[in-house]
Amino acid sequence: MRFLLIIPTVFILVTTVFALMRATGDPITAALGGKLPPDQLQQLIHAAGYDRPILVQYWEYLTNIFSGDFGTTISDNRPVTEVLTTYGAATLELACYAVLVALVLGVPFGMVSGYFRDRLPDAVLRILAILAYATPVFFAGLILKLVFSVWLGWFPVAGRVSTDGEIAMQLAGADSGFMLIDAFKTGDPAVVLDVLSHAALPAIALGLLTAGVFLRLVRTNMIGTLGTGYIDAARSRGVKEGRLVRKHAWRPALIPIITVAGMQVAMLLVGAVLTETTFEWRGLGFQLSEYLQARDFVAVQGIVVLMAVVVAVTNFLVDVIAALIDPRVRY
Amino acid sequence: MTMSAIRGSRRLIAGAAGTAALALVLTACGGGSDDGGSGDGGGGSAESMVIGTTDKITSLDPAGSYDNGSFAVMNQIYPFLMNTPYGSPDVEPDIAESAEFTSPTEYTVKLKPGLKWANGNDLTSSDVKFTFDRQLAIADENGPSSLLYNLDSVETPDDTTVVFKLKSENDQIFPQILSSPVGPIVDEDVFSADAVTDDQAIVDGKAFAGQYSITSYKANELISYEAYDGYQGVLGAAKTPKIAAKYFTDASNLKLEAQDGSVDVAFRSLSPTDIEDLRGDDSVKVVDGPGGEIRYITFNFNTQPYGEKQSDADPKKATAVRQAVADLIDRQALADQVYKGTYTPLYSFVPDGLTGATEPLKEMYGDGQGGPDTDKAKKTLEDAGVTTPVELNLQYSNDHYGPSSGDEYALIKDQLEESGLFKVNLQTTEWVQYSKDRTADVYPAYQLGWFPDYSDADNYLTPFFLKENFLANHYVNQDVEDMILEQAVTADEAKRTELLGQIQEAEAKDLSTVPYLQGAQVAVTGADVTGTEDTLDASFKFRYAALAKG
Amino acid sequence: MTSGEITSVGTAGAAPEHVGGRGAWFKKLPVVHQVRQSVGLQRGMLIAGLVLTAVFVLVAVFAPLLAPYGWSQLRDLDGAFGAQQPPSAEHWFGTTVGGYDVLSRVIWGARTALLVVLVAVASSIVVGVLLGLVSGYFGGWLDRLLVVVADAIYAFPSLLLAILLAIVISGGQSSMWGGILAAALSITVVFVPQYFRVVRAEVVRIKAEAFVDSARVLGTGHWRIMTRHVLRNSTRTLPLIVTLNASEAILTLAGLGFLGFGIEPTAAAEWGYDLQRSLADVTSGIWWTALFPGLAIVLAAMGMTLMGESLNDLADPRLRSRARSGQVSGAVAATAVEPNPKGDDA
Repeated sequence: MRFLLIIPTVFILVTTVFALMRATGDPITAALGGKLPPDQLQQLIHAAGYDRPILVQYWEYLTNIFSGDFGTTISDNRPVTEVLTTYGAATLELACYAVLVALVLGVPFGMVSGYFRDRLPDAVLRILAILAYATPVFFAGLILKLVFSVWLGWFPVAGRVSTDGEIAMQLAGADSGFMLIDAFKTGDPAVVLDVLSHAALPAIALGLLTAGVFLRLVRTNMIGTLGTGYIDAARSRGVKEGRLVRKHAWRPALIPIITVAGMQVAMLLVGAVLTETTFEWRGLGFQLSEYLQARDFVAVQGIVVLMAVVVAVTNFLVDVIAALIDPRVRY
Repeated sequence: MTMSAIRGSRRLIAGAAGTAALALVLTACGGGSDDGGSGDGGGGSAESMVIGTTDKITSLDPAGSYDNGSFAVMNQIYPFLMNTPYGSPDVEPDIAESAEFTSPTEYTVKLKPGLKWANGNDLTSSDVKFTFDRQLAIADENGPSSLLYNLDSVETPDDTTVVFKLKSENDQIFPQILSSPVGPIVDEDVFSADAVTDDQAIVDGKAFAGQYSITSYKANELISYEAYDGYQGVLGAAKTPKIAAKYFTDASNLKLEAQDGSVDVAFRSLSPTDIEDLRGDDSVKVVDGPGGEIRYITFNFNTQPYGEKQSDADPKKATAVRQAVADLIDRQALADQVYKGTYTPLYSFVPDGLTGATEPLKEMYGDGQGGPDTDKAKKTLEDAGVTTPVELNLQYSNDHYGPSSGDEYALIKDQLEESGLFKVNLQTTEWVQYSKDRTADVYPAYQLGWFPDYSDADNYLTPFFLKENFLANHYVNQDVEDMILEQAVTADEAKRTELLGQIQEAEAKDLSTVPYLQGAQVAVTGADVTGTEDTLDASFKFRYAALAKG
Repeated sequence: MTSGEITSVGTAGAAPEHVGGRGAWFKKLPVVHQVRQSVGLQRGMLIAGLVLTAVFVLVAVFAPLLAPYGWSQLRDLDGAFGAQQPPSAEHWFGTTVGGYDVLSRVIWGARTALLVVLVAVASSIVVGVLLGLVSGYFGGWLDRLLVVVADAIYAFPSLLLAILLAIVISGGQSSMWGGILAAALSITVVFVPQYFRVVRAEVVRIKAEAFVDSARVLGTGHWRIMTRHVLRNSTRTLPLIVTLNASEAILTLAGLGFLGFGIEPTAAAEWGYDLQRSLADVTSGIWWTALFPGLAIVLAAMGMTLMGESLNDLADPRLRSRARSGQVSGAVAATAVEPNPKGDDA
């Protein structure tokens, strides 16, 4: 029955956003107030229906959202849905890289940390993990950028692809929104390399944050399973320690990792807002901060609603998957 | 989400992709993609250049936008009837043979014969009439149609003749208006007569006839330009055949790419810190030109200290307070510390570089050479019988004039208080509220900035110092008002310049506003880029066509 | 029940009743007790966390004594400081792009951060514990409704919420309290569900236990029993949530500042704002304006996180370091809270 909770959850999120956004007044005044004479402003407000009773507006907002209509941005007159789909792909791509970085760093080091529990490697790794998630992602990004692109010159400063690469992609008709796929479509290895080198620093900045969480989690679960009879039995059979860790101890630890990985979506999305801003990665987070600067609250509302709903739905899916994998998990 | 994302972005690019024009761009830049991985692709050869900016485009349709970022693109791609040649603030016929008053209310423009749009359509007087008719018909709230305040109607006796019927006589500003954001001529076969036209439709329709046409367009990300050989106007042909304009949001990223050569020319807007740093870098050139942007403190004549609605109202004392502020502000320190030379001291209401600009405040206030003078301010206040310290509530916007405003006003407060003559309460408000409050007499003294619509001194006087003005600060001076109205219809240039000087002189005594900074235009280019000096002029239009590399 | 009783929980509540051990009363205090309980690495981490946090709090409290200049001071008797001056004898950490003294702003910034932490933690505890008690005690539809709402809000990314609240509270303009309240309240909203869950679970558990009935027979009031027992048991997990709550508050404040929703420099010193203003400096080789506020954020957040992390270890019998784990009598239910379970911070 818990699965049905997704409906009220989404409803509450959507309502919260609406209530907060309207508490500031109408979006037209926010975006254009001071730029237009009051009578013109009033006309626009009337045309957009922001002078109607709040409940009528709320009902319209709900029905529109459920039919996939998020309105039109005020600052650049684009359908919000188009903004969401165009830039959502970029954010998804960044999130994938970041999760990859997090897994590659977090899982093996978490295993090492758990295995050497309370000894030096554990101490060092745990401090690093805590450092990773106590560091604001924009500060980490700033330092990475300073070291690897300004001082060492190994990676480009910002963006998702260089100008030449982008033109090559346009020529190849590659416009999936996923840069790496597009780069492969051009068939030019230089473009692929270009895209990857642009992705490296943002992926690491965002991935480090998550890696710290993964490391902690894997460590905890390693300690838990290493202490169970299952491992003791294997150990008594003469299974070597390395194999013990690799083959036996980590499997039971997998489910919670999936669960937490799902829960990291919220963190990834918020991290993405700050990472994308630092590295000019043109995704949803980047657009969000752009629209915030422009005080375009229709766009802000759409992006925030989407992010909140994505988080809620992911958590819900994780619940379902966990229940499927492990029948003991009941709701 | 994935599937719809693919569909969404495909629609965005579909029009441009695969066109023959794009193939041309690739031939020019294609070689570059080999070294793209190391991030130093750049233009490669003199055939093409990469320009970086932090501008924002709202619309390519002249009826749908009225901002610097959009207008910067329009200046490359649309023709104008009147335009400013390189190095001058004054207008000349652009794609026209002649333009003149044929009667006090008729301004007649003759087009050059045989003009064509990049899509092959003929460019005729009918397009011109269409352009201005639709501006007035659409009157978009984000558009510049208000600039056509004096236009009554447009007539086209033949294919190359346009007659503008004006409401008031001998309007000396009208030729300038034709070069302003309301002036780009558009193709009647591509643009809609009664609605703002979509950017992609404009690009697909190749409705270009300026120095460049656009071959591919991704809003606020990347625009590829190609020189248009059908342009026969006053500016001449483009020096570099292909330009890619890359849009940044973070100025420090633009700076780094300019430094490593990925961007050949960075124009608008690097942070003062970045520019100062780049001045010491041999791999790039920093080029300065006059800027049209000004910064000033506005005083509300009702609510300022000793203002008309105050209990201790006294016009003499009120004037003395304004004059003391003018005495005390250290403009050079503001320009150097806060803006690192990207702004320069301003001693008048009309910025340096424009025809008719003088510097009356330099002599009248401070130490007489532009610096501050505490003793002078003290004497001014004492003579008027003002008790010091004067308490001044000073307001600034923290989000409208860039991130340095906080530093700017912290320093002004510091300068005023340093003298011991003022006690300043500094306050800040976000822009929407700010705009409402300032015209509702809430702020006794407050920060404002101004960017001109056209490069004429009138644009710095008429909006500010007439009875009904944009400042709504209750300033009235009949002499100034008469002179401003007179200069606008004075055809004799020498006489008009003299009048402009008198207006600035008179206004410097009244100080309805205290101007203090003028923005410089700063471009950062690779060491081998030439021509930047030519286009960084008082027209405030940055033409890519003037730039060349190698 | 008075709110005084509730707010006292996080700082001076009685030791968990299941935990044995003798000694002076202060040894039973949360955190103190745990320091005694810990060994080796865990004790090191806990103490390091305590030290960092103590330094942070002391710097914040004594900022007027420690800071050489005011947070918006531009000149002293010798004249203006000048902008972006490198570290020197007068300005140990140099000056910012606006001409402020970096060291002073870092020190004053601790004060702003501490205020956010205090407001966030205090309001989260009050609201969370109250709702938890009410929800668990009364049960029924109110309980179910609150649980659903708590779950939904729990999923809301805190920085996004903070942005929305910043707009509501201050319309984007940032007085000192506008910025502080925006960060603190958004953190409150996100953390209330966590306190709520813990407290509610305890209430439900205790309600079912026999001694509640016996106490009632003895004539002790319901609320008295509930609050007493629930709060005692919750002290095991609440300090942990408090530390996470605190570090999240610091990071959210910094994130807001970085996105341009920070506090104006003349109103108060704020690390995130200073970092954002120093972006251009970094690419021009001016490192001191970004490094110090950045480090301040990292160290403050790290102190809290280290504490939270080790408290979590100690609360979870599986993770408690082996040497002393036997000393703790009575198996505590494994209700360890995941530090940063969603961790939607910057």
